[in-house]
Amino acid sequence: MSAAARTVEHVTCLGCGCACDDITVVVQRGRVTEAQQACALGTAWFGDGQVPDAVRIRGRADTLERALAEAAQLLADAKGPLVYLAGDISCEVQRDAVAIADRLKGAIDSLAGTAAAGVLAAQRRGRAGATLGELRQRADLVVFWGVDPGARYPRYNTRYAVEPVGLAVPAGRQGRRVIAVDVGDARGPADADGRVAIPPDAELDALGAMRAMVQGRAVPPDGPFGTAIALVQEMTKARYVAVVADAEPGPSPSDPDRAEALIALSQALNGPTRCALSTLRGGGNRSGADAVLTWQTGFPFAVDFGRGYPTYRPHAGAAERLAAGEVDAALVIGAPATLPDSVAGRLAGVATIAIGPRASAAGWKPVVAVDTGVAGIHEGGTAFRMDDVPLPLRPAFDGADVRSAAATVRALRERLEGAA
Amino acid sequence: MTTPSRLRIAGGTVYDPANGVDGAVRDVCIEGERIVAELPAGVPRLDVRGMVVMPGGVDIHAHVAGSSVNHARRLLPEEHAADPAPAPQLADGPPARSGTGGTVPSTFATGYRYAGLGYTTAMEAAVAPLAARHAHAELDDTPIIDSGFYVLLGNDDYLLRQIAAGETARARDYAGWLLGVTRAYAIKIVNPGGVAVWKGGDGNGSRNVNGLDDAVGSSAVTPRKILETLAGAANALALPHPVHIHCNNLGQPGNFATTLESMRALAGQRAHFTHLQFHSYAGERGKGWRSAAKDVIEYVNGHAELSVDVGQVMFGSATTVTADGPVEHLLYTSSGRKWVNVDIELETGCGIVPYAYRERAAVAALQWAVGLELFLLAKDPWRVVLSTDHPNGGTFLSYPELIRLLMDRAYRDERLKAVNQKLLAGSTLLDGLAREYTLGEIAIVTRAGPARLLGLSRKGHLGPGADADVTVYAPDTDRAKMFAAPRYVIKGGTIVVEEGQLRRASAGARLAVRPDYDVAVTKDVKRFFDDYASVAFENYGAQ
Ligand code: SF4
Ligand SMILES: [Zn+2]
Repeated sequence: MSAAARTVEHVTCLGCGCACDDITVVVQRGRVTEAQQACALGTAWFGDGQVPDAVRIRGRADTLERALAEAAQLLADAKGPLVYLAGDISCEVQRDAVAIADRLKGAIDSLAGTAAAGVLAAQRRGRAGATLGELRQRADLVVFWGVDPGARYPRYNTRYAVEPVGLAVPAGRQGRRVIAVDVGDARGPADADGRVAIPPDAELDALGAMRAMVQGRAVPPDGPFGTAIALVQEMTKARYVAVVADAEPGPSPSDPDRAEALIALSQALNGPTRCALSTLRGGGNRSGADAVLTWQTGFPFAVDFGRGYPTYRPHAGAAERLAAGEVDAALVIGAPATLPDSVAGRLAGVATIAIGPRASAAGWKPVVAVDTGVAGIHEGGTAFRMDDVPLPLRPAFDGADVRSAAATVRALRERLEGAA
Repeated sequence: MTTPSRLRIAGGTVYDPANGVDGAVRDVCIEGERIVAELPAGVPRLDVRGMVVMPGGVDIHAHVAGSSVNHARRLLPEEHAADPAPAPQLADGPPARSGTGGTVPSTFATGYRYAGLGYTTAMEAAVAPLAARHAHAELDDTPIIDSGFYVLLGNDDYLLRQIAAGETARARDYAGWLLGVTRAYAIKIVNPGGVAVWKGGDGNGSRNVNGLDDAVGSSAVTPRKILETLAGAANALALPHPVHIHCNNLGQPGNFATTLESMRALAGQRAHFTHLQFHSYAGERGKGWRSAAKDVIEYVNGHAELSVDVGQVMFGSATTVTADGPVEHLLYTSSGRKWVNVDIELETGCGIVPYAYRERAAVAALQWAVGLELFLLAKDPWRVVLSTDHPNGGTFLSYPELIRLLMDRAYRDERLKAVNQKLLAGSTLLDGLAREYTLGEIAIVTRAGPARLLGLSRKGHLGPGADADVTVYAPDTDRAKMFAAPRYVIKGGTIVVEEGQLRRASAGARLAVRPDYDVAVTKDVKRFFDDYASVAFENYGAQ
């Protein structure tokens, strides 16, 4: 290990769905000492670049060869196998993982399922969207609907929607108006130029009234939705409106129909003006899992290969299957730490195989655990930003000493395919 | 049989129009991945006596992979549920994959179904450069067929800036750089300037351009200028395929005037005009539509430098998916169906509306008739080739039915009677166009022609040195049946379809260009990226 600092530029961070690709990572004596430009969340995501390097069968150290054999056996014998795509793996790994589920005639789900409400709403209605960089070029009015990206998507405002200069917004922040819509406790950014408060139980009615207004139907401005009506009037006068909402579940539950109402409003605004809805999504390349499953199966999450072809079970994803006792073996690929509680909390009673960063530390005691590197830190490949823009991963470590998730999952796939 | 490295396809009736073979009984010899002139006696034979032998099909324009296509897939769970695609049972090689179909099939199903139809090459017609990496990943997961894509450039903000500044040479070098960095095959223009106006949220009330001389931001930038600049760039870069153009005003009554004006604007230059059917209507909005197929195709007939694909509309389900955002918005507001729009930073747009063409619907019937007129009035099949703009006018699975319409006048006339006649006055189809395509002409419009227009010298023919992509059909007077289920398909020397069953799934190759350009342009592009782009210059593209 060299004492000299190694610097890698244009690194993509998967700490959240912003997938900032402007990070400069400095490695000294085998550790990440700096992640320049990264926010606190991103800095924590890079950490010091150290990952455990264990291979365990039932808690005991063993060889990779035997671990893969055991894993293949468990999966091949299972009646209800589940493959779960957790965070911090590349699209290349996800592609092999879907092949495994196909081979096993098993179920497959992913971290992308956390945003199910929004995905399902978009499947019913479509959506009016834009890539993040286009919001930067165009939006002169940004409406944060019950979300302040600051906490979970820290650089969203500085890199994309709010602050940077854009082709049609040469003055950057000065050229845009920012409105915070506070839905109960779910508040927009504190430094917004304007605020609108909407009680949670009136949210859907307010969105409905706003849409009606856009569609030219008369809504009394002095009725119960006066402030919302004033907001939508402002929206129709803007040149290009960005509506920003969180697609991930927040601390307080939001109305399950909000996603669809926001889509309907943003679609309707394309007429009197231009509008794009930007839905915030978490990190770890979950958007890649959504894209890969969609192109390989036709469905974005909660897919079941049980009939020998993909079927869509959006209301019987990993959490529901585990809860119903339908899973007797689970293959979790990716970082166990990224699993939603609804999945992690139900894995303890199931024979599991964990392959991914810090797999051996999984609280639910995998039968087989194989530690690997982290996509974007130890291994390359492709990841998707929250807006489906694909980005290359530039590992700061060349992976010399760190087991590759890509090679491990490929080896498991080949084992299962060879066992025809 | 396993796939031998040498194979004599013996005794078939061969249609190889590029080599002047029009239904002659002869052998086709394969060694490794190529066609060879002769093989010694005693090599393995595939006896295809009585069958029809053609080069593998080449699709010059389809939407099969990449971010827009994937947005469309995500939008259509109900179609996928209704059309499961279990993994085919292969004879050897790695296990096949399952998937789903519908108008926008999953990647594996796309490859298998193309091959099952006798197609061995397909070009994805519209990829945003920003998402090139995604398109390549999907094409990597699309088995058997060789493929490439056209990269969208007609509304690109950097390009429009160069045009505004009169920097034609820099625009050309930019195109050269972009093709290489995205590993694309050709330059695509979609509604030149119109998508930029749509994204800009200004322009006239229609949020689109209406004609060739409308201003796009700066008055120095017009659809005409964009066409001239990029057609010139493609020709100056000596690309194998010229600029691939989706004109302004797609789907609008009266748009044939814009189409002809676009063709005249590029007079004397090579250019390919795509899905011409959608651009060949007379009439006026609110005052009815008529066919203008005759006017448009007569111009094409008289200009050897032009080529087109038809973009036939076929009755049934379709999904409209295009970079032409404003058109999809119009379709959404008029149809009330679900709608996706994605504005793509600094480059282009994307719009999607699932759709259906019904025989009883007047406009759909007109569109169907216009496409057939273009085919039947075309003088040179080498320059007027087959497409449905899959999945926009219908899916690639409808090609056999389209072939039957072209080859079988009685069948065509019968179908014509069943469609809504309201807008057909003035259609030459009503005059009883008698033409029936021959098998030789079908071989031209489905393989030899597209291959030549793409500059793919080893595709679309069966001469020595050609890729060993061969399709064998059992003759049937029902041409739809015949072309829907080839008996044998050989791709790169591998027998992928055997006795009508998909038996092997080799990987396809990627078709891409890497033109020479003055690299000085990249400095300026990097500056533009640093000022405006949301991804690093160094992370852009798909290398
Ligand atoms: S905003 Fe998200 S992607 Fe960007 S540096 Fe912070 S954690 Fe990483
Ligand atoms: Zn097209």
